[in-house]
Amino acid sequence: MLCPSCGHKNLPGDDVCKHCQQPLTPFDLPTPENRVERSVMYDQVKTLKQNPPVTIGQRTTIGDAMALMLSTNVGAILVVDDAGLLVGIFSERDLLKKVVGSVHDYRSLPITQFMTPRPECVTTTDTLNFVLQKMDAGGYRHVPVLENGKPVSIISSRDMLRFLTRLCKEA
Amino acid sequence: MDLARNLKTETVARLHPSQPCTVLPTQPVADAVKLMREKRVGCVLVCEQRRIVGIFTERDLVRRVLSQAKPLTTPMHECMTPDPVTVHPKDSISSAIKHMQKGGYRHLPVVIDDRLVGMLSVKRIVHYLVEHFPTMVYNLPPHPQPNQPQREGA
Repeated sequence: MLCPSCGHKNLPGDDVCKHCQQPLTPFDLPTPENRVERSVMYDQVKTLKQNPPVTIGQRTTIGDAMALMLSTNVGAILVVDDAGLLVGIFSERDLLKKVVGSVHDYRSLPITQFMTPRPECVTTTDTLNFVLQKMDAGGYRHVPVLENGKPVSIISSRDMLRFLTRLCKEA
Repeated sequence: MDLARNLKTETVARLHPSQPCTVLPTQPVADAVKLMREKRVGCVLVCEQRRIVGIFTERDLVRRVLSQAKPLTTPMHECMTPDPVTVHPKDSISSAIKHMQKGGYRHLPVVIDDRLVGMLSVKRIVHYLVEHFPTMVYNLPPHPQPNQPQREGA
């Protein structure tokens, strides 16, 4: 590729210009072509609606977690330790896969036994493409948003869908 | 590729709806749970001779079976959601998304003249959206933070 500052012809994929040592990596970044792409690339997680996450302590039981899921009408709750740091996520899918039908009398069992530990997370300053990447590649419906290890929000695929379709409508 | 236009012009058939999992209304919940686990899906359709009579999802499992302490031998027709909202393969993707958002659904059965042909999930829609900006989403490092906090090696 041609160096934009000195015009030296470099091999494709070089990190710096062989002639003038200018960094070439920024030119490999994709350039957004429309409003939706620009938003996906540069908008941060905090531009989405912040859903206060439903959290539960790690010493609670499956029965408590189920009651909380029912009363708050959510599909996934975040499990936090005493300091409020995220340790896991417990979702309807965990219930289906690990609990129902295979464990008897599960209501009094600790939630830590069945939750998904250390879920994939993002922080409030990450851009939206990271959220999309995690959702699509990992097949997650919920991605927790952390600030210093503490959950501050949770993004569901519904939020992402709403955000993108609204952008399309405005564009 | 203009997403806003594609959403209106492309149809549900373009998304290749997945093969649906079906159970009979008389089968117990345990069968549905087993099927959902085996096929790793969040939802089964309750059908009678290819005609949909209801839908049973993870949410129904929590709300209508577990929370009410019903046994897993309860027949499906007692705990399913009857007459789910469906889409036609020729419907536009934006109309399918609208149905999902309006009802808060994660799954829509795809139906031609009352005959079940597929299942459309919200995951598939998210994947479809991501396909529109592959370079923005797929060409990403595993972590958003660009630099390593510590030097590698000894």
